[in-house]
Amino acid sequence: MIVYLTLSILIAASAFLLRSERQLFAAGAAFYAVQAAFAVRILCGLYGTTSAGVFAFDAAGTLFYLLLTVVSAFAYFHSEAYLKGSDIRQTRTYSALLMLLTTAVAGAYFSNNLAVTWILLEATTLCSAGIVYHRRTAQALEAAWKYLFVCSTGIAVAYLGILLLCAATKCDSLSYEAVAAAIPAANPLYLKTAFLLILCGYSCKVELFPLYTVGVDANFAAPSPGSALISTGLVNAGFLAVFRVYKLLAASEVFPWVRNVLLLTGVLSLVIGALFLRRTNNYKRFLSYSTVENMGIAAIGLGIGGIGVWAAIFHVACHTLVKSSLFLQMAVVRQVYDGYRINRLGDYIRINRVGAVGLLTGMVVLVAFPPSPLFFSELLILKQVVAESNWWVMAAMILLVCIVIYSFCSRMIRLCYQPNQDQLHPSKADRALSWSALVPLGAAIALGLWRPEILTELISQIATL
Amino acid sequence: MIAALILLYVVTLVYLSITERFRNFASIISLQGWLLFAVALLRLHAIHPAELIFISVETLLFKAILVPAILFAVIRRTKINRVRTSGSSQFGSLLLSLTALAVSVSLTYCIADSAVDQVFFAVALYALLSGLTLIVLRSRLFSHMVGFLVIENGVFLFSTAIGVEMPLLINIAILLDILMSVLMLGIFFTRIDHKIHADDADSLTNVKD
Repeated sequence: MIVYLTLSILIAASAFLLRSERQLFAAGAAFYAVQAAFAVRILCGLYGTTSAGVFAFDAAGTLFYLLLTVVSAFAYFHSEAYLKGSDIRQTRTYSALLMLLTTAVAGAYFSNNLAVTWILLEATTLCSAGIVYHRRTAQALEAAWKYLFVCSTGIAVAYLGILLLCAATKCDSLSYEAVAAAIPAANPLYLKTAFLLILCGYSCKVELFPLYTVGVDANFAAPSPGSALISTGLVNAGFLAVFRVYKLLAASEVFPWVRNVLLLTGVLSLVIGALFLRRTNNYKRFLSYSTVENMGIAAIGLGIGGIGVWAAIFHVACHTLVKSSLFLQMAVVRQVYDGYRINRLGDYIRINRVGAVGLLTGMVVLVAFPPSPLFFSELLILKQVVAESNWWVMAAMILLVCIVIYSFCSRMIRLCYQPNQDQLHPSKADRALSWSALVPLGAAIALGLWRPEILTELISQIATL
Repeated sequence: MIAALILLYVVTLVYLSITERFRNFASIISLQGWLLFAVALLRLHAIHPAELIFISVETLLFKAILVPAILFAVIRRTKINRVRTSGSSQFGSLLLSLTALAVSVSLTYCIADSAVDQVFFAVALYALLSGLTLIVLRSRLFSHMVGFLVIENGVFLFSTAIGVEMPLLINIAILLDILMSVLMLGIFFTRIDHKIHADDADSLTNVKD
């Protein structure tokens, strides 16, 4: 792991010094070669082992790392095309930060220690803020400032929770195993307070209620391929951090309370996501609120327990593929219209048929129409909700998902079919990018039709409490 | 001795809720830095001397000297000296601060467990609530920055409570402080005033639905 981190950081740091787009492409190729080699190394030998005492190559880390590698590579090479012709100094900073963000997120996935997870999540804040500030406009500065400020406050709150957890369990080490072993003897009230602080603090990363707003602002201001990584890889890092604490508390008497808190957080996030999907007038914010909504569904899955936990992890994994594809498609939309205003844009099907089909298919998958993998996960969560006789959650979920479906259909169909209101003449679309962005979406649809045994097994291992 | 220092720390938090001048904000942050330095010295005397020196020097240098110095520089540069007059009243802020203190003490009293030093926990919780109150109630960006620093100081104080067993945790807290405080103050100092006027948070309302 140390070799991987060193190599990745060195390549990323070298990108700060490069002078041409071709060199940046080469640096990206080298970086993703390291990622691919590391992924192969994990699958062929490292899986199940630990490294440097604070990293562990477990099922959760491996699954999300594989997804991260794919999404990050797409984001990087789409960015190269998307930012072609921009100021090279800005582009190289952006590219280096994208690589550093990928490295920090990968470290957070494999971290086996509460403090190390926290440090790496803090590192992601710095990288993401730089990506958000890429355009150097007043709006980008505002979004970057808010992101840095709220995330830092959130992370400080989460640190207070970690300190409390450490004090309550009287552990000598903050490794997850050591804390898990000491949890049953800890004071329940301290555990509850610690969980609340950690959940509130990390909610800025998971894009869950209450600190979801910074994620939405960050995705809005960052270049679309960067948003694809922030809205999936980074969100998954926050999800995994919360999930690992959730698993720690599974052995304690406060676990039913923890599940109720997650249910409430999930429903509130779903409410916010559904309502703001109707309200917003910007396609990137629209997709970001969809992330809030989907992470809300995942939180409900964790809260309801049973098969819901498996479904939540499967949901998050599939959401990574679908949402990254949609953000990459949105980058092409910006190339065409030079904006994201929902009430102005239209006629996309005539301008870029491939991109429009990608967006419409992504919409169908994201609103969980069969054979979407999200249909399968949401169905499992609903099944567990019914099994638990949790009728208020079921009613809220069905109502809010209906609002989400209506919002998605009306907005995406408008983009593709309504007459274009924009006074500017649309530019030519880069069809190669649209074709390329279909790949993760195709992978997600394939998972909806056929789930490999190894994936099912991997998720079952992760979901075992 | 530690109890007296912590009591003084609580007084700084209460004073922070009623003061309206930014110079007072910066002075209080500096005073809190000195108090934390003294608490760290007294509380952590049992740890390895090298670690104690590292923690003390870092605390003194950054919390008591560097960060307050940057805050004073920001005040001089922006020429903004006090919170907005249309903000919440001093009495209202004081009432809210005392309520936060009561909530923190009550919660700690309810838990009443020997695993955690209750005084440190109560004061850390109070610092967290005070910082959040400052961020929510005051509209100027400078107040938000001070609110964040207050939360940071509270977290640091709590880390000293369990730092005898785990000095690593304090080091992490310090590193967070240094990195984020300096970075945020740096952005505030060099960028915000160029592109966005640092006068108040109302100018940061372009990114919304």
